[in-house]
Amino acid sequence: MSRIKRHIFLIVGLLILAVLGLISPRARAANFSASLDRDTITLGETATLSLTFEGGQPNKLASLIVAGLQFGTPSRSFSQNIDFNSGQVNTRLVLTYSVTPQHDGEFTIPALAADVNGQQLTSQPLKLMVTKSSASPPAGADNGSQIAFAKLTLPQKQIYSGETITADLQLFYRQDTQLAREPQVTGEAADGFTVGKITGDNQGLVQIGNAVYNVIPAKIALTANKTGTLHIGPVTVELVLLVPSNDRETEQFFDPFGMLRRNTQKQLSVATDTLDMKSLPLPTENVPANFNGAVGDYQLTATVGPTNLAVGDPITLHVQISGRGDLGSVTLPDQTALHDFKIFAPTSKVESSDQLGMEGTKTFEEIVTPQNADVHEWPQFSFSFFNPADGKYHTLTQPAVPLAVHSVGATVMPAITSAKNSSPENQTPQDILPIKENLGTPELKNAPLIAQPKFLALQGLPVIAFLAALVWRQRTDSLANNPRLRRQRAVAQLVAGGLSDLNQFAAKNESREFFAMLFRLLQEQLGERLDCPATAITEADVDQRLILLGASPAMLESLRELFQFCNQARYAPIQTRQELVTVTAKFKKVVGELQSLKP
Amino acid sequence: MNNLFASLCVLLFAAKVFAADVSTDFSAANELYAEGKFADAATAYENILRSGATSPALLFNAGNAEFKAGHLGRAISAYRRAELLAPRDSEIRANLAFVRNQVQGATGRESFWQNWLGNLSLNEWTIFATIAFWLTFILLAAKQLRPALATKLKSTTWIFAALTIFFGTILGVQAANHLSKQTAVVISAQAMARSGPFDDAQNAFMVRDGAELSVLDRRDDWVQVADGSGKTGWLQNKQIEILPGA
Repeated sequence: MSRIKRHIFLIVGLLILAVLGLISPRARAANFSASLDRDTITLGETATLSLTFEGGQPNKLASLIVAGLQFGTPSRSFSQNIDFNSGQVNTRLVLTYSVTPQHDGEFTIPALAADVNGQQLTSQPLKLMVTKSSASPPAGADNGSQIAFAKLTLPQKQIYSGETITADLQLFYRQDTQLAREPQVTGEAADGFTVGKITGDNQGLVQIGNAVYNVIPAKIALTANKTGTLHIGPVTVELVLLVPSNDRETEQFFDPFGMLRRNTQKQLSVATDTLDMKSLPLPTENVPANFNGAVGDYQLTATVGPTNLAVGDPITLHVQISGRGDLGSVTLPDQTALHDFKIFAPTSKVESSDQLGMEGTKTFEEIVTPQNADVHEWPQFSFSFFNPADGKYHTLTQPAVPLAVHSVGATVMPAITSAKNSSPENQTPQDILPIKENLGTPELKNAPLIAQPKFLALQGLPVIAFLAALVWRQRTDSLANNPRLRRQRAVAQLVAGGLSDLNQFAAKNESREFFAMLFRLLQEQLGERLDCPATAITEADVDQRLILLGASPAMLESLRELFQFCNQARYAPIQTRQELVTVTAKFKKVVGELQSLKP
Repeated sequence: MNNLFASLCVLLFAAKVFAADVSTDFSAANELYAEGKFADAATAYENILRSGATSPALLFNAGNAEFKAGHLGRAISAYRRAELLAPRDSEIRANLAFVRNQVQGATGRESFWQNWLGNLSLNEWTIFATIAFWLTFILLAAKQLRPALATKLKSTTWIFAALTIFFGTILGVQAANHLSKQTAVVISAQAMARSGPFDDAQNAFMVRDGAELSVLDRRDDWVQVADGSGKTGWLQNKQIEILPGA
């Protein structure tokens, strides 16, 4: 048992020794290295050299001396940690130097020797390339004393007149300051340039000299509008910065940790240098006939519609010119040679596909009207431009579009005249034909004729007239084709007139004329009824034939009586007026009955 | 007789005074337009129209003023009413086509046949049809009154009868179109057509200022419309102007 206990104690003791041995500080091999944060800098900028000592601290370090390089006072950064895996205590010391080149060129920081914990250590040599800056920052920027400044650069030295380029504008302000509000471009002097849109970009950081600056890049669209030497700048930018207060002594008393550090607002106006650029005239050779000044790189699409229309009807021409260039100045080619069309002033709109408005599509809408039915097509449409990239003129062509123009509703289109207030502002972006000066004849609003009852009623007149004529014609034809009817009507008319004469004769007591007329009327009426000549009628015929027609005995008796009166009149005529009137009445009654008999 | 003459004189005098007043107001509205006061000019033209007077020039200028004031729908409405009075006025046609090109979104358009028939106004078609109708019946009546002329008038009568049928058919079509169909022109900047005549009905489709839609039905303050693609929806009266004809 005691033997077993002894073994257990031995094992536990070995384990404790092993654990203690693991965590006990052990000396570690020291290490020394040197590094630069960048291997290439621009003259005026400052690089950072870091000397790192691991596993100990240098007792002695060789001086840093390199011709053309200026080393600043080092800052120390010391750290210590325990590695539980290895049980070692790691120490790390970093000495940081600012390295400011005095001129451009390639510099070599030689291997540095250091005595660390009695060991002689050497770092590797380092190379630093210093280049000249393309545009030196303003004086004072290299040492960080300039709070803010602006820089303008152009992408090229030459430009064609009418060409559009972008200039880069950079606004620098020190990192330890803050923008109180958005900077404003307050002036852009540009001799020979048309200044277009200005767009900003993402903010970045850049080290210039010994200071780190925030940089706000921006682009400016510029279009050369004349030839010769052009100047751009100075571009002036106004900005308001929050600059840290310099009254540190007072502040440190109340705010030793800098938590309540105050800023001072400072308004600045920074300006760029003036840059020159040569503007070349457009080539005078191989200029297309319809070139109207467009400079850039463009594509053309055009549509015409409707294609089936009447003379005077509007056709809309849609032209899209898309590409890169000063789209605002692009115009449609001259169309004055199109005599068969009346062309109205086009409208246009530009849709930019980039923020600067240098790329996009310009859409023209033009209303044209064919002036006669002989127009069979909208002619071929061409657009020419000069491309600065290849220095050549180009012509884009759309084929002719067939048109079917009818003569229906042909009217001559009015000439376009300017409105009384037709200033250029009022003509864009849309142009309609101007107002009419003459009112014409004002009318009261009325319903359409077709909806007016009086008008509709009036349309019955020709129908009524036609129907009347038709009836008249029917009756006329019927009479012409029926001799008995014609005789019946003639006799009826004769009897009607004869009755009037009888009354007159009776009134005048003219017995002879009265009975002569009465006899004639009886003959005519009986002849008509019996369909025989009137002169052939005798008293003897009457009875037999009238009975066949259904005559009543009373009527026959009256007829006989009338005939007897007529016969008596030759030798013993009735003399009194009253008797003649009585005979007339009797005759009238008999005639009425006779006319009612159906032959 | 004297009374009739006096009445005619009064009527003539009243007509002259009316024309003079309208002409003065028209000139004043034109002046506002010339000064660039397009909204004021549009109101002035509208006031003249409300007084009961109308003329193609008045409606044309009203359309111009509305367009310049940014009211595409009202401009289209005025031009279309002007076109009804003067269908072959090329200036009206040009401006109407121009403004229509500015309209965005769904809209209806006249068919080829509607355009063709629109070369004459409804009254002009009526007059043509009436003349052909009257002459046909006068010739028919003349044939009855003078049968000897029947042979000579036969071909002429047939021609006028054919013209009567032709013009009568077109007049029938135009009258049916004008009197039984209506067009709604949207006068709001944009309006949401709803699936029913209620404020809380579902959205059907969006129409913009100047869209021309067919009127299908009416219910209280709501009008059911259809666009050119056949979509239907209900719009409020205040969002549209109703015009006769499709």
